[in-house]
Amino acid sequence: MRPRWRARGATLPRLKKKKLCPFTAAGVKEIDYKDVETLKKFITDRGKILPRRITGVSAWHQKQLSKAIKQARSVALLPFVDRA
Amino acid sequence: MSQTQKNLYEGMYIISSTLNDDARNKALEKVLEGITSRGGEIVKNHDFGRRRLAYDIAGHREGHYYVVNFEVTPEAITEMRGEYRLMEDLVRYMITTPSEVMEKIEFKSLESE
Repeated sequence: MRPRWRARGATLPRLKKKKLCPFTAAGVKEIDYKDVETLKKFITDRGKILPRRITGVSAWHQKQLSKAIKQARSVALLPFVDRA
Repeated sequence: MSQTQKNLYEGMYIISSTLNDDARNKALEKVLEGITSRGGEIVKNHDFGRRRLAYDIAGHREGHYYVVNFEVTPEAITEMRGEYRLMEDLVRYMITTPSEVMEKIEFKSLESE
């Protein structure tokens, strides 16, 4: 049964949407720092790496992803900071 | 320990885009020579094209990218790094250890399924 009242500011429990790791889904084994177009999808418009709680990337791929992004940054394929 | 084994490396080189084609090729050749003269072997040489840099490096806004796969001993890498410091036309470089050599630099987009 649903409670009659809620504490102020409390939100209703959300329905959990099942998130799938985009890399697992596509069967990617290795994330390459040269693949700028893919990497760009996982950074904010300021250039920060998006947390996997938002993107749904698996831990295994997030580790590779963050490494690839950092490598790409060091050769100026991606920005360290992008002042949008 | 007389001979150490050669490993596979991938170097990404950004050469100044202010140079003309001749001078740029010369600069690239110098990089490649640094590998072969130390007993290295060039496996693959990709022209990654002229690109806008994501941030300015020493006044450069653009650069010409090259991706070179080569096999060389770890000692040679140290020597090469020292040499790169003296090369003014080399805007930036990065040496990584890839698991395989790409025939062509191409990537599939993620939404394949």
